[in-house]
Parts: sequence; C-alpha cells; structure tokens
Amino acid sequence: MTPTRETFGNISTSSQVVFYVVAVASMAVFGYGIWRRFRLWRQGQSISLKQLATGTVSQIATKIGPGLRRLLVDGLGQQRVRGRGLPSWAHGLMFAGFMMLFLGTTLLEINHLAEMVSKNLGFHHGLYYIIYELTLDLFGLLFIVGTSLFFARRLWKPPSVGHRGTDWLVLILFLAIGITGYFVEALRIVWQQPTGIGAQCSPVGLWLSSAFRGWTEGQARAAHLTVWWVHALLVFGFIAAIPFTRLFHLIAGPINLFLSKTVLGQLKPITLEEAERDGRIGVSDIRHLTSQQLVSLDACMECGRCEDVCPAFATQKPLSPKRVIQDLKGVMEHLADATPDTPLSPHDVIKPETLWSCTACSACVFVCPVRIDQLTLILDMRRHLTSEGGLSGTAATALRRMQSSANPWGFPQSERANWVPESTSPPPN
Amino acid sequence: MTEEQQSESKPVAPTVKQNPDFEILYWIGCAASYDRRAQRVARATVKLLNAAGVNFAILGKEEKCTGDSARRLGDEFLFQELAEANIATLAKYKVRRIIAHCPHCVNALLKDYVQFGGEYEVLHHTQFLSQLLSDGRLKIEGEIPASLSGPLTYHDPCYLARVNGIHEAPRDVLNQSLAGRAGEQGVREMTRCREKTSCCGAGGGRMWMEEPPQQRVSTARAGEALATGATTVAVGCPFCLTMLTDGVAANESSARVLDVAEILTERLGL
Repeated sequence: MTPTRETFGNISTSSQVVFYVVAVASMAVFGYGIWRRFRLWRQGQSISLKQLATGTVSQIATKIGPGLRRLLVDGLGQQRVRGRGLPSWAHGLMFAGFMMLFLGTTLLEINHLAEMVSKNLGFHHGLYYIIYELTLDLFGLLFIVGTSLFFARRLWKPPSVGHRGTDWLVLILFLAIGITGYFVEALRIVWQQPTGIGAQCSPVGLWLSSAFRGWTEGQARAAHLTVWWVHALLVFGFIAAIPFTRLFHLIAGPINLFLSKTVLGQLKPITLEEAERDGRIGVSDIRHLTSQQLVSLDACMECGRCEDVCPAFATQKPLSPKRVIQDLKGVMEHLADATPDTPLSPHDVIKPETLWSCTACSACVFVCPVRIDQLTLILDMRRHLTSEGGLSGTAATALRRMQSSANPWGFPQSERANWVPESTSPPPN
Repeated sequence: MTEEQQSESKPVAPTVKQNPDFEILYWIGCAASYDRRAQRVARATVKLLNAAGVNFAILGKEEKCTGDSARRLGDEFLFQELAEANIATLAKYKVRRIIAHCPHCVNALLKDYVQFGGEYEVLHHTQFLSQLLSDGRLKIEGEIPASLSGPLTYHDPCYLARVNGIHEAPRDVLNQSLAGRAGEQGVREMTRCREKTSCCGAGGGRMWMEEPPQQRVSTARAGEALATGATTVAVGCPFCLTMLTDGVAANESSARVLDVAEILTERLGL
C-alpha cells in the first residue's frame, strides 16, 4: 500500500469549517497589523516604488536584481546572521526549522484544496510523502532546539540585546507549536497504525507514539482531535501576533533587505534646489526620513550587534546605534495619532551630544543583519543640526577654516606644498 | 643629458605644472600638507615613488581639502563647494589615476566625488607600493635593520579596510618589509582587524573635537594594538597616525607608530 495519510484525517467537517473561519480571522488580524505599520511608513519621503516596476523586463530585472539577491543571500542564506557563535546557530536552526515547517504547512494546505477539487489531484502520498514526512519530522527538532537556545539566551539577558515582555510569549508560543506538532503526529500514528516505511518516515513521531502504547483507537482519536485543535489555535495565534511582537522583523526585515541600498562610505547628496524647496537641510521631522528608512526602524530586532561594535558606546559616550534606531522608532509610532501638522522632531529625543559622538566608522552598518543604515540616519540628523548652527567649539572652527583656507588647520593655501623636501630644486619660474 | 642628470634636475615631488606628462597624481591631503608628523609620511611616499622611478605629480597649491570631514559633520554645501573646486582642478589637468595615503581622501575621491561627476581610478598608497614591489620596481635587498626586528602589528583604518575593502595590500607591503626577520613571521594581528577593525576615534569629524581622556577611543584601540606585544604599530592613515600616537603614549608605552610607507623606506634604507 502506498504510504500516505489523509489530510485533515480524524477532523470532522464541522471542525474543518471552524478551522477555516479561525484561519481567516487570524489572517485578518495579521493584515490589520501590517497595514497599521504601512500607514506610518507611507508618511516618509517617497522612494518611488513604482519606478521599480516600469520599463522593459531586462530594465526591471536590473533594478530589482540587487534587492532580490540581498533577499536570497542575506535573508534565505542567513549570510549576515552568521559570525556570532551560539546566537547565530540558534537563529539558523530556528530559521531553518521555521521555513521548512512553513513550506510544509503550505504544501499540505495546497494538497487539501486540490483534493477538494478532485481526489485525483492529491499528491500527498508515495515517495513525496516519505520525503515530506521525514523532512518535517527532522526540521521540527531544529526548530525546537533553536527556540530553546533563544529561551536560554533570554534568561541570560545579554545587556546589548533588547528585552520585551512579549518576547516570552513568542518563545513559549514557538515551543508549544513545535511540541504539540509532534504530539499530533504521535497520536495520529497511534490511531492510524501505519506500517513499514509509512511509519518509519516520521522517526520522532513514531518514538513519541510509543508513550501511548495500549491506548484504544477511540482514545487516540479523541486525544488527537484535541491536541490538533490546540496546535491549530497556537499557529493562528502566532500568525496574528506577528505584527504586534518582535516577530514583525519577519516582515520588515526582508522588506528592508530588498529596499536598502547602502553603500559604505557614501552619502546621499542634497541639492540647493531641494534645500530651497523644502526650506530645510537634513532631518528635523521624522517624516523627513524616507519610507525605506522608516521600514528599517521596524526591521530592528535589537540584537545589539551595532552597539557591541560601536567605538563611541565602548568609550561611555552617549551613543548607541541601537538606541538611536529605537528612539527614532518611538517617534515614528507617534505618527499613528498625529495630524500632518504635528511636529515630530527626532531631535526632541536624540540629544546633539549623541549625534556628535559618532565617528562615522560604519561598524554598525557593517554588522547589521537586516542592513539598517544607522550612520546615514545619524548624519541626516547632523545635517539639520549643522544647518541650524548647532555645531560649536573646535569642530565648528575646523569647518570655518575649511571654508576660508580650504583646510581644517586654517593654514594659508600658499603653504600647502611646504612639506616637499628641501632638496627639491626650485620650480621653474 | 643622461637619464641620471635628468632625474637630478627634476624636483622630487613635481607639481602638475612642472611635470605635465605625469602618469599618476599623488593626492597629499590636508594632514600631510600641514601636520608635521604626517608630512613625514608624504616624504617617505615620495622617496619610494622616486626610487621606483614613478612618473607622478602633485597639485601643490591647487589642491584643496576633499571635504570628507565637512560632509560627515553635516555641512553638505561646504563639502560640495570643495568637491566641485577639486573636480574642476583635476579636470583641468586631465587626472584619471590618483594615489593618496589618506583613506578619507581615498573614500572621498572614490565614492563622494563620483556623485558630482568626478570619476577616477583611486589607489591607496599601500596598494600602489604593493604593485611596485610585485613588479620589481622596488626591490627588498640586504639585511633587515634592527629597528624592524621587534613584533609589529597593523591597525586597519575604517575608511580603508571596512568601507573600501583594502586590507591585503598594506599587509603585503609590511610582510615583505619584515621578510628575513629572525624568529618571527610577518604582521601580528589584533582580534579586531581587516573589515572588523575598530575605529581610531577620528572619523566623522571627530578629529576636530575634544575628548575627555577617560573617553578616548584612541587609548582603547592603542591598548588592543599593544596587547599583541607589538613594539611597532603600523598604520595606513594620517588620522590613525595622530590618534594612535596619542593612544600609545596614554598607555605609557614606547612603541613606535609608523605609516606603512615609512616602514618600507626604513627597510629599503631610503
């Protein structure tokens, strides 16, 4: 007999109907959560997304190619998450498990919808079934191990990592989803009694099913239905929680990876026309940031890597790149109930000393796993301070000297080649 | 006139007017133009260029600050003014290839100026020196001087190593300069090196700001350099040179802080 199992086996039609109703409800909460952030992002300066989708196919490909590459390499490939030892492993395991379980659940759903159309369209059997079951069975373990490592890390509380109460909800939700998933599988094996490869291809589930040895089919089916519901409701809770917890980086992170065009050491020029039109230079209101910069604030996971490498932070100056992002995010959140005229200046929460502490060394930008450009945000705010005459002391003197003598020391331009060794023969004329 | 006589009559660092047929422009930057310590880096580089018979020129009085600090201190229009003046000067002398020993100048010429129509091939002097060595135009011969026998570490400048990915060329020049030492091979590495280097504290206009002694980035970084046991700290940036010299002093060490070009001239006995 071909190895298989019935999709939604042991789940009554009425349960299935309720399942789909709850599914739609949780998707709606998810959608609302995204929309409420999207409304904030839209209040930034336009990044002309439409331009990305115009032109010939090859023009579009050149425009979106680098972004897609970042999604694949940095996102799916987890390239920038690496390099931090155990936390990197934890993320890698959780991510691999999560993605595989997500893909598996999606395939299962496609199979279910296909079977509703025609029984012949179902594909959840045979070799596919064996590979499917084995893969999900094993990746579920990676998911649980990764989540447990994060659980330990949250208990440990490294100071550079941000902590919020809802982080515990997320981790407990993940652990519960992983564990109930295995119980659903084990109890299904108890009532279905698969034999041969059909049972062996779910090694963890099979091992767990031995705990229910001696249960009657009726008992197993009843328990299966209950645990299945618990599992399903946890998953729907998780989907609904994404936009309201740290899980939101699942959405904002990839969007920022796609949109971020950071080139280390390069800044966006301001033209005189722009300065005249806008009546300002740099950023004095949160809405002066681009929509991409606003997305990047939501992409921040507070992993603390930027803070760990910041030379200003390390020498007890009032700057943490992570804090800057979080402070800006706080200002952005006020956009939710602000009228277009309400002034929302980041300078009210981020002090000039903080901004002047930055050495523009790019270490924070270099390590950020989701490619947040802390440096450009800081320099955009500096531009405003400087234009308002907010720079004083020796640095302001250096700027004045650069203006008058074309060098920050203020020496005469005529002495610029005085360093040339004495032995130089006199220049002609 | 023989070739030797010709070179004797030529200035060691000719300006673009004195040597209009130059192949490569040596961009000096403000630090080496006016700071006494950094001037020695420019002189060392000139010695090496002369020894290799490189046909180069400098802008002399026509060079202006690149505006790197101004841009990063937030004064965009001062930066643009300086950039446009420099781009016009470089265009006047049809400059295509540039070498600079200051990573802030390298970055400005390479990444800032391109936004205003200035496109050049820009090399850090360590990249150019590494090429001269591999082409055999500079030859390392004879005994290594005693001054280079001690442990040496190299501090990567942010604007060179991280921002522009240039970290092998300086190591190549240093390793070749140190070849033949008894007992020890090459550069001793700090934990934070290459792209992961840590700042000297002078970038982003901080060069021009006061720092309370207990908060100095340079003291911390010099401490990391000295922890390798190095008696010579090599740098590739005039800002790092100033900062680490102060930092080494703050750590009460007598280690030398030298630019890569100075180490190569020392090795070649120039």
